Amino acid sequence: MRLLVVDDDDFAAAMTAAVLEDGGHEAVIVESGAAALQVLAAGPAFDAVISDMNMPRLSGLELFAALRAEGCTLPFILLSGDDPQALQRREPQLDACIAKDGNLEHTLAGALANLFPARN
Amino acid sequence: METTMETTRSATLQDKVRQLQRAYLAKLPQSLAQARAGMATLTGDESSEQVLDDLYRCFHNIKGTAASLGLLAISDESAIATKIVAQLQKLLEYSTRRNEMAAKLAGLEALVGELEDLIEVAPEPVPVESAPAATLGLELGSRPGKVRGRIYLCDEAQDAVHLAAHLACFGYLVSVYTDLGELQRAVLENPPNAVIMSTKGVDLAESLRVQVNIPFLFIAEEGDFATRLRVVQAGGAAYFLKPVTAHDMIGTLDELTIRREPDPFRVLIVDDEPEMADYLSLILEATGMLTRKLDQPGRILDVLSEFQPDLVLMDMYMPTCSGREFSRLIRQVPQYVSIPIVFLSSETDKSVQLSAMRVGADGFLTKPILPEDLITAVSVRAERTRTLRSLMMQDSLTGLLNHTTLAQFLEATLAASRRQGGKLCFVMLDLDHFKHVNDNFGHPAGDQVLVALARLLKQRLRNSDMIGRYGGEEFAIIMQDVSEDEAAEIMRQILQDFAALSFQAGKTAFSCTFSGGVAGFPVMESTEHLVLGADQALYAAKRAGRNQVLTASQCKGGQ
Repeated sequence: MRLLVVDDDDFAAAMTAAVLEDGGHEAVIVESGAAALQVLAAGPAFDAVISDMNMPRLSGLELFAALRAEGCTLPFILLSGDDPQALQRREPQLDACIAKDGNLEHTLAGALANLFPARN
Repeated sequence: METTMETTRSATLQDKVRQLQRAYLAKLPQSLAQARAGMATLTGDESSEQVLDDLYRCFHNIKGTAASLGLLAISDESAIATKIVAQLQKLLEYSTRRNEMAAKLAGLEALVGELEDLIEVAPEPVPVESAPAATLGLELGSRPGKVRGRIYLCDEAQDAVHLAAHLACFGYLVSVYTDLGELQRAVLENPPNAVIMSTKGVDLAESLRVQVNIPFLFIAEEGDFATRLRVVQAGGAAYFLKPVTAHDMIGTLDELTIRREPDPFRVLIVDDEPEMADYLSLILEATGMLTRKLDQPGRILDVLSEFQPDLVLMDMYMPTCSGREFSRLIRQVPQYVSIPIVFLSSETDKSVQLSAMRVGADGFLTKPILPEDLITAVSVRAERTRTLRSLMMQDSLTGLLNHTTLAQFLEATLAASRRQGGKLCFVMLDLDHFKHVNDNFGHPAGDQVLVALARLLKQRLRNSDMIGRYGGEEFAIIMQDVSEDEAAEIMRQILQDFAALSFQAGKTAFSCTFSGGVAGFPVMESTEHLVLGADQALYAAKRAGRNQVLTASQCKGGQ
């Protein structure tokens, strides 16, 4: 799959991308919500967006809201250093909300497998 | 394609993570220096607001990124720093409390100092794996079969190794620990798919569960209420009384560790308007269904047999033939008598709708079609077909395919192998002295054996292999792309593991074996020959003393 990774911290982004690539996926990194909106509007097809929550200007949740407002229905996975369950409660429409922790490779793979059962 | 549940970090990922850790540790001092500079400018007036926001983001990022990279101590310290900054933000709103702010700021500075120290003392950031007392199980590649998942078993009792060996037979990779401290380290460094432990470890499990989201299963000597309650309070996923039968344990482990994803619904869309077909397909695929569009009605029978849809969605009015004629045509093929057909049309006239129903339409959707209506109409009916089909196809005790279904699959796969010039094997297995098991230990014990063999076959064979229960204690398997000898070898390994299982009937433990016969295409040319060949080889295996697998070619050669 081709996934868009949105994270202003390039180490966190690289880590997410490494996990995805290890799972046989293609990861494209952008460093802000604005860049994500641009890339997605420009057209190249992605299967899902994986975004960090805590970013300057546009937060992960704001990016999600902006995409949905534009009619973009791509699956959206939010990563956060804070309690993911609280965020999921704040925005139940999120396809998944995952804690940024040492377990990322398992939780992210699990979330993707959940979202795309057919491709597993 | 095999779906394995391999959870260990691959070597390349491990390398990448190590590189990232190094690079991150090298960059961190710079971020901290920036944070310090920001803190120095904090005056308590309005300009401080922006500085505090930046500081918050800085520590929050370190907390998240460090955790992702496995640098837990740094992440923890940064989490505290984040909290202090948040308190500072609150204090800033009441700018009278300058003293308190100064104290907090001093605390924050101390924390940054600690972080800087932590970076210095992290020369080898990758945690060293603590060695388990013993690791049992299938090493990937050494044996065909699926690795179910990694299990840590912690129990000082002797029978732990015995249980581990049993679990390994079912494809779990089991590490045995005798010390709770070692278990804790291993769980935190490399979380398994589940932990099995004695009730002595209940406190540890409770604290570990906060950090790793995996199921904990408990084995207890006693079934008293207090212990059971304690396990439930600690979040235990299951409670087993000794002696534990491996079969119960595996049933529970499978449920807890294997997420069975149902196959997506398959919907065939027949519409001569490509825009409409695209629209329908888009909506259904967005909910995870698989669709196939058909614009030439003439290809319907090919597409039906190739795509095997759960439901057909059809435009009522098409140029070459009407939906009504079309559905009648589909219904005339015995195989498709039960496939749901849903019509789409702008027809609101009830009498026309009724006449369509009469030729076997299952539903009517009138245009314009709302996405929600479409999804509901399709998923409800497809679900029902699925359930009916599985009830018709499966053996109720083992969940394997039944005789009739397997026979149909044999026809179909043989035809495919013939077309593609591939190989195919038909295997028949029969439990040895099964009547003896039922007579001596009762039918529940016999059922236990049947279910165990069914489960073992499902776990050890490929997803593409079709497994059926052929009758009482007889099983049959269709394996594609393997030779007679390869199939026999796989069966022999399964036999070896099956024979090693011990079953429990009251206080008595017993074990079981099976005999098997394998016949392969293209040596055998027709389904009749395959079935007969496998049956004869099975019979020969029985005569030769049971507990073995023979091929049809071996039997011919021997006679």
